[in-house]
Amino acid sequence: MGELTVETRESGDVTLVYPAGFINAHTVRLFETEIQRALEQKRFKLVVNCASLSYIASAGLGALMGVIEEIRQNGGDLRLTNLNETVLNIFEILGFHHLYLIFSTEMEAIRSFRPAADPQ
Amino acid sequence: MSGSGRPVRSRQPTLSLAVPSQTSYLAMISELTRHMAALAGFDEAEAGRLALAVDEATTNAIKHAYAGAPDRLVQLRFDDRRDELRVEIEDTGATVDPRNMPSVDLDRYVKQRRTGGLGVHLMEKIMDSVTFRRVSGRNICCLVKRKDGAGGAP
Repeated sequence: MGELTVETRESGDVTLVYPAGFINAHTVRLFETEIQRALEQKRFKLVVNCASLSYIASAGLGALMGVIEEIRQNGGDLRLTNLNETVLNIFEILGFHHLYLIFSTEMEAIRSFRPAADPQ
Repeated sequence: MSGSGRPVRSRQPTLSLAVPSQTSYLAMISELTRHMAALAGFDEAEAGRLALAVDEATTNAIKHAYAGAPDRLVQLRFDDRRDELRVEIEDTGATVDPRNMPSVDLDRYVKQRRTGGLGVHLMEKIMDSVTFRRVSGRNICCLVKRKDGAGGAP
């Protein structure tokens, strides 16, 4: 309990990040490491799928906040999907829903990176 | 819960525990807080937010007051009063007064690529009252949530 796993996959030029468990001050380093790994590979289009994320503390929110400027300066974005009610509520409390695009499904988030004319 | 729907409970004995100043205990503290909040009559969503606030206060004690030293203790006290749940998080580390922190400006934090500075703000949004006091070499952070549902986050 309280541990975190983070898997990543690629869908074209979009990197999908799957945190599962808790992100707090103890586990945040693993989450940061996986995000940084993508950025080091010059992959600046990220979708964080929070379907298995049960809880996020300010350490995790800080990790998202600390990278978004670099990502956007490189023409990318970090978008979120499948936030449960608890996690979405925390985002809203801090105003993070104004900083990040949040989608209901992973497919919507992936498609949001595609040019409008591209049906895929 | 009473028949009228309002949570009315007699005061419970205080639960007190000392936890090593290590972030590996945060998940346990969150679970314990969630459980205590449920016993006090808060619903699941509110209990989750209270757990987050206590997580943040404990994280502050470990990271700032104790500067990450793993061999100290953080004292937690849960006091279920008739109209409110009160949680005190106490450390004997360096004086830390979060009231000196500037107000949160997300746009500025993003530009500065900051990763911290959100914890106290989150606590204040969740709780009805967040106070800090220094007593005889101890920092005491007191978090209070009323049971009437007024104030705090939705």
